[in-house]
Amino acid sequence: MKKILIYCDTKPEDLSLVGAVELMVDEEVSLTAIGYKEHCPSGNSVYDEILLIDDQKVMPYDTMNLCDLITENHKENKYDIILFPSTQLGRILAPRVAIALHVGLVADVTDLHLNHGIIEMIRPAYSGKLLAHIEALGTGPLMMSVRPGVFQPKAVQLKSTNIRELHGYQPKPSQIILLQTRLKPSTEDIRDSKILISGGGGVLEHFDHLEELATLLNAQVSASRRVVDSGLVSRRIQVGQSGKTVSPKLYIALGISGSVQHIEGLKNVETIIAVNTNKNAPICSLATLVVEGDAVDFIDKLSTKIKKNSLNFKEETQ
Amino acid sequence: MKIVCLIKFIPDVEDFKYDHERNVLIREKMNQILNPEDAVAVAFALNVKKYYPSTTIELVSMGPQSIIPKLEELLRLDLDQATLITDLAFVGSDTYATSRIIAHYLTKHKFDLILTGTHTLDGDTSHVPAQIAQWLGLPHLSNVNSIHMNSIDLGRLELSVDHDQEIMSFAVSTPAVLSLQKEAPYKLPYVRFEDLNKDVSERLKMLSLKDFDLKREDVGFEGSKTKVIKTYAQTLNRQTKIEVTTDEAGIQTVYDYLKDKGFLK
Repeated sequence: MKKILIYCDTKPEDLSLVGAVELMVDEEVSLTAIGYKEHCPSGNSVYDEILLIDDQKVMPYDTMNLCDLITENHKENKYDIILFPSTQLGRILAPRVAIALHVGLVADVTDLHLNHGIIEMIRPAYSGKLLAHIEALGTGPLMMSVRPGVFQPKAVQLKSTNIRELHGYQPKPSQIILLQTRLKPSTEDIRDSKILISGGGGVLEHFDHLEELATLLNAQVSASRRVVDSGLVSRRIQVGQSGKTVSPKLYIALGISGSVQHIEGLKNVETIIAVNTNKNAPICSLATLVVEGDAVDFIDKLSTKIKKNSLNFKEETQ
Repeated sequence: MKIVCLIKFIPDVEDFKYDHERNVLIREKMNQILNPEDAVAVAFALNVKKYYPSTTIELVSMGPQSIIPKLEELLRLDLDQATLITDLAFVGSDTYATSRIIAHYLTKHKFDLILTGTHTLDGDTSHVPAQIAQWLGLPHLSNVNSIHMNSIDLGRLELSVDHDQEIMSFAVSTPAVLSLQKEAPYKLPYVRFEDLNKDVSERLKMLSLKDFDLKREDVGFEGSKTKVIKTYAQTLNRQTKIEVTTDEAGIQTVYDYLKDKGFLK
């Protein structure tokens, strides 16, 4: 049986790291989750055990003490694999733990192969232009940070989870003190967005409908030059050669035909969904998914579906 | 105050050249640039020096000797010293070995602050700053987007960190390792015209394995804890296209797609 430790730093229902374990281990596993309460399931779950960190004792930005805590826990339990999500915290915590345990670390894994008993960790490099297959050397534990949302477990088996607070740990005085937290103003830069909902000539006066879909997808709104020129929105959110080059993971182009200049701004986009009355519009040649039809109609129908399903989900889990 | 800036020269990702037949990166043809977020760190250090003229700044970089002209260009700004850690024995070092070598150098020196970038454009593991902080037992923060100049001589630094939807302000005791992000408002100045050809070689120090208290097997491929099995260029072919309409089946397809790719929780 393999012993796995997963650091939880995303939503409690995010099981993508458990999905990663499935690809690496073909025998029985014992899964331990460690993290703060808000990131861990509160009841029975896929984990055998959940170790809760007391946020009064160790703060989530205090990676020195978090590292000590995880290292001590490993020394007690001897895990075979330790996984971190490559969140902002995961990305600075995992390297500390790797040094403390004197093991190798692979960052931001997006794929995993089990090749004759050797676990190959695959990650992008050079801004995603290269993919590297990496193997860990030495005696372990195997450590990596995994991009959240990439893997999903095939089979979810609920266990009677033993949830306990981590006690008996005396942290050192923190060398980092939180002074203040404030929300970022909503005028975020569209270049930082992971998901962009972008409107063009096909949505013009219905541009406000985009906001609702953007909120549901935790996305930002951007626009083509046509909409900006019409004075409906600010140039700050314009995509394209005269606007901004964007690199979200997902770009939903609503009623945008896709001029050469607009397409120039989309070179680094991973996935494009294009909604257009003309399925032969230039943007559709770049898209993975083409929806032929009216963009406003599409926005309203998709928003309704997302709202309805999230409501059903809540009812099921309550 | 003494500031150490950890910097890396990287192949220019925009100038990416790949031999698809031999499946190797054509490094020699790629232009080397200062990693943009490391440039932000150097720019901030220069700002501190302008404010507090007694500040000294040392650049520390590990890499091939071919980056010497690039280091010299930086030295022509108001920087005090550059240390290039360079040896063929170091080739193949993963982040474990790299951080170990750099940390070994730093343990022998006094400093108040280590500044660097959050990401590099080439490897983009973000490991080395955090690993060095761990080797040295120092606090570390990444995604730092501003450091309050007035707090510099207080023995603790006040700074802001960009954290998802929030900006968090912290006070950090020094010495500390801080990784800046490219959104921080610090830009490298140009070299003064009269300094363009200035001889700065005296301020450039080169160190090789013999200068370290490390064995051959501690560094390079042997000293690494991970091994790259293979690399290949990502094929940019778009996936097979799905075409639907705005009817119920079409909307369901889009919904399932978003869910499947993790865009919808």
